[in-house]
Amino acid sequence: MNAIEFHSLSKFYGKHRGIEGIDFSVSKGEVFGFIGPNGAGKSTAIRTLLGLLHPSSGSASILGHDVVKEGVQARLKVGYLPSEVDFYPEMTSRELLEYHAGLYGIEKGEKRIEELAQYFELALDRPIDDLSYGNKKKCAIIQAVLHEPEVLILDEPTGGLDPFMQNRFFELLESLNKKGVTVFFSSHILSEIQRMCDRAAVIREGKITAIEDISSLLSKQMKKVRLVLKKETELSLPDGFQNHHSTGSKHNFDYVGPTEVLIRWLAEQDLIDVVLTEPDLESIFMNYYQR
Amino acid sequence: MSMNRTLYFKELKRNRKNTLIWTSIVVAFTFLILSIYPSFSQMGDQMTELMSSLPEEYARALGMDEGTWSSIIGFYSTYYGIYITLLMGIFTASTGATIVGKEERDGTAEFLLTRPMTRSTIVTTKFLALGTLLAVVYSTQTFFAVLGMNVFGDDVLWRHFVTMHVHGFVLVSFFTAAAVLFSSFLSPKLNYMGPVVGMIFGSFFLDAIAKATEQVSWLGYISPYHYLQLQAESGSLEVNWGSCIMLMILSLIMLKAGHARYLKRDIVG
Repeated sequence: MNAIEFHSLSKFYGKHRGIEGIDFSVSKGEVFGFIGPNGAGKSTAIRTLLGLLHPSSGSASILGHDVVKEGVQARLKVGYLPSEVDFYPEMTSRELLEYHAGLYGIEKGEKRIEELAQYFELALDRPIDDLSYGNKKKCAIIQAVLHEPEVLILDEPTGGLDPFMQNRFFELLESLNKKGVTVFFSSHILSEIQRMCDRAAVIREGKITAIEDISSLLSKQMKKVRLVLKKETELSLPDGFQNHHSTGSKHNFDYVGPTEVLIRWLAEQDLIDVVLTEPDLESIFMNYYQR
Repeated sequence: MSMNRTLYFKELKRNRKNTLIWTSIVVAFTFLILSIYPSFSQMGDQMTELMSSLPEEYARALGMDEGTWSSIIGFYSTYYGIYITLLMGIFTASTGATIVGKEERDGTAEFLLTRPMTRSTIVTTKFLALGTLLAVVYSTQTFFAVLGMNVFGDDVLWRHFVTMHVHGFVLVSFFTAAAVLFSSFLSPKLNYMGPVVGMIFGSFFLDAIAKATEQVSWLGYISPYHYLQLQAESGSLEVNWGSCIMLMILSLIMLKAGHARYLKRDIVG
């Protein structure tokens, strides 16, 4: 049984498309990235998964529970961290977290609340309205993990957190994942996906354009090439070269293809210097975005 | 349909300040009316004379007649119909209009609806909390009205008092259910106070105009006030069980329709 499954899931707002025909699954214990530019449909997919939106067609399930027909059972095992944090302003963090615990039927959650608040350095007795956005986010993180969910759904989780807290958050995720918690990680910050995820799906204009292992994406034979020629000349670039920029005798481009072809081509040039670097995940995914 | 205790008590807590303020206003107003009755009753003949100088239609529209000044229940009924049911209706209807939609407007719907409860449980629980608030404001007002009657009046026609309060309860419940229904069709970002006040005052004035002007008496049929008498006419005031049952059934239908609308609503964020 997979942790999360999407089966040809579509959501339309009238004639406007939110997502269309989303079809993939996330294995139990996996840390799965969900990447796409703003407005691509990431939040629509997550909101449909959580029952906030009604699907136009298709279905989705969490740990085998259909999110429409068995939404309660599905959500019982899910921790959700929204991108925008809106809580009851009149409550303190402690009241909110106790309220959350009550809704999950947790009777003695105080100790766990204290532990997590200490870990994230959150003042529990200040009204939520008085908290900074970063502190509200910490409160949101605590409510997402407090009831020890089996699946964590995170929508742009690090917004508002300083680098130190981001690191603590990632350490918490890693420790939860070691205990078997599945993490569905939606973000546009690719370095986070690169750090945390095993696989990732790319969504663009409401449709999934790629699902890849992060390691295989990183090992794709794409290179960033920077070279300086002896003379200012026009280069004739063979297949596999992209994003070429030049200033005088200096040239920068990306290359996708067999390395020996690149080396053979470089050997034919009148070079002063050449630098080959591995692209970061961002460059790789920009290719998907631009397709 | 089930309810959630945690959510129910949280809703009561969340609305307690508003309930306390509105209940205090209604109780203070009730006591004020009853406390000034002895002064008016001493001027009974003058007031009756003044009444007879008023145009008949005007007095009828405001629910005044000779009986208004001759007994505490007549005096109280004039104000109960015009002010107290309106005030209670505005409070419970405005709370009804926002009790579900407020979560969406404030962005907290995302928190609430992603907990392990069905939407039906959430909406049912909120309706039960709303019913409790209505019961609190209504029963507190009734309690202090009984107290005031005993303190400031004598020979109270309790049968009339009970009738007025049964009818008042049905009216307030009807307005609350209507507000729940219309709010389920509107954007949660709207301020519902205007439509709520408009609905309640509109209903009252439609009935008043219908009573005052025979040519447009048909207007009364579209106001719930038409079906439930709040003042004695020719010394008679009886519970109209037929209208009470009809309006309560309509209220339940409106609540059920509002409930169904909220279940289908998308939370776009």
